Amino acid sequence: MAASISGLLKPWTPRVFLVRWSRYNPYYLEPEVRKEAYIKPEAELSAEEKEQRELKSIRPIKAATNDVTSSVFSDPVISKFVGMMMLDGNKILANEIIAKTLENIKRKQVDKYHKAPEGMKEEIECNPYAIFHQALENCKPVVGLASIQKGGKFYQVPIPLSDDRRRHLAMKWIITECRESKHRRTLMYEKLSQELLAASVREGNVIKKKLEMHKMAEANRAYAHYRWA
Amino acid sequence: MALQRLSFRLRQAATHVRSLHTSGCGQQQAAEAVESEPEPLSVFRTRENDPACHSEQHMGQYYTLPSTDIRTLFPHGLPGRYQQQLKTFNEACMMVRKPSLEVISYLKKTDFSKPSLRYLFYGLNGTGKTMSLCHTVHYCYTQGWLVLHVPDAHIWMKNCKELMPSSYNDTRFDQPLQASDWLRNFRITNEPFLSKIKTKQRYVWTKRESTEEGSLLGQLVDQGISRVKSSSDVVGAVLKELRLQSGQPESDFRMAVAVDGVNGLWGRSTIKKKDKSPVESDELTLVYNLKKLLTKDWTGGAIITTLSQTGSLYTSRFDYLPQELLGERGFDSMDPFLPVSVPNYSEKEFESCYLYWMDRQWLQHPQSRTEEGKKEIIFLCNRNPSMMDRICASL
Repeated sequence: MAASISGLLKPWTPRVFLVRWSRYNPYYLEPEVRKEAYIKPEAELSAEEKEQRELKSIRPIKAATNDVTSSVFSDPVISKFVGMMMLDGNKILANEIIAKTLENIKRKQVDKYHKAPEGMKEEIECNPYAIFHQALENCKPVVGLASIQKGGKFYQVPIPLSDDRRRHLAMKWIITECRESKHRRTLMYEKLSQELLAASVREGNVIKKKLEMHKMAEANRAYAHYRWA
Repeated sequence: MALQRLSFRLRQAATHVRSLHTSGCGQQQAAEAVESEPEPLSVFRTRENDPACHSEQHMGQYYTLPSTDIRTLFPHGLPGRYQQQLKTFNEACMMVRKPSLEVISYLKKTDFSKPSLRYLFYGLNGTGKTMSLCHTVHYCYTQGWLVLHVPDAHIWMKNCKELMPSSYNDTRFDQPLQASDWLRNFRITNEPFLSKIKTKQRYVWTKRESTEEGSLLGQLVDQGISRVKSSSDVVGAVLKELRLQSGQPESDFRMAVAVDGVNGLWGRSTIKKKDKSPVESDELTLVYNLKKLLTKDWTGGAIITTLSQTGSLYTSRFDYLPQELLGERGFDSMDPFLPVSVPNYSEKEFESCYLYWMDRQWLQHPQSRTEEGKKEIIFLCNRNPSMMDRICASL
């Protein structure tokens, strides 16, 4: 009995190793995929980094998921977006759609760039990744609404949102908008590229949705104190 | 006062004329300097836009095709992704590579009184066989040859929406849509020849329509485009006329027959007859007549062909050699031919392509412009041109 309790208190490694699950013992460390972290020679490491390295040689490390790569072109925001767009686990298709979207955006912008007169060329943004990030920034709401019950009724109360929640809402709005309000024959990547280009200049339906959310929050300002009811 | 203004204007005109004169001289001097020491525009571009003057020193460099040539020569010949690139970059640039330079040098030395030689571009998927063919066809066009370009022989062997029994021969089948499309594009490419060449035979289409002996080729082609039903037979007639007349002492034109995906002509077809049995390649009028043109009976031109696995039917994805793709019958019909291998990009060609895309603002990802990014691109695509295009499209 005492032996089993003391066995539980020690940091434990299961006999069957968890590879695909996301629930790990907090004892496990996150994997480091970036090449830059391993290139640094011994001399340049600060005290903290030296500690980290020693810890890594002792503690077990979680298995890296399939979407993190040490490629220089990997972007965590885009990976998150791909994951959200995925249906039925078909990540290959979701990745292809995003690749075609970025290509489409780049093609439209480079086309405009080459046909523009000399003075206008610097203002045209051709980088599809910059446009994607800008569009996402423009779609993120500042305040959100929560449904709080007081006195038997439910009120829509304006609340501050965390960064992750804002990013999640922006991505979800973009994807739902592109899935639902498009012509039957328009392909997803075409519609996505149109929406992203519009959102990067603060136009389009997703920006409208964000502004409506802000207006609702402004209208329900009076109930803000219900948050602490 | 008015005289002063007049003299002032005359002085201005004089200086204007002088400046024009000096700029003209300057241009002449610059032209002489260019002719004596051709200065390259940059490492990856060349000023030499005439395929006849391309040589070893231009290998790996991009030359510009004029847009008028593109519209006349290639209404249907260029690959799809390349056409999108033309639209985006607002210019048509093609790389000068060794396989097409080799074939162009052979074409320059051909003896037109001997039977026409057959050239075959072969290689792995996506290494640039169609682009080499287009480069060679551009050379033939600039030399004033008649260009008979079949963009993809596989489209005549699959996805046929209308299959009609042939009026000329009961055992064969017609494909009116494909035939009329091809005739339209043939007319766009070879406008000047249509009013010069005359038919040597009388052709009867229906009870009331016929083309007399000695009428222009243009009339024959118009007949095929307007009467879609008999367009396949018109194609057969056109090919026969050109084959008989080329190489004769009285005709002053040279003919270049360019066929892409030639392995489709001897392959299986997915077209089915009404009783669900598959159609043989010899039972299609278009294919039958084209095969007669690919023999070595005629003189005064050349036959340039490409193998293609991507559009082919019932072939393994990893086949790329002529023996495998042409099959026994195809190889025996094409034998003897000159095989020209089209490899992946060499290091110099890859550099050239990379710099060209940097110049045209196509590589936008900040990391793709670094050394690390370049190494990663080389690793991912193995210097295969089409894979490189697909990977860098989203970067």
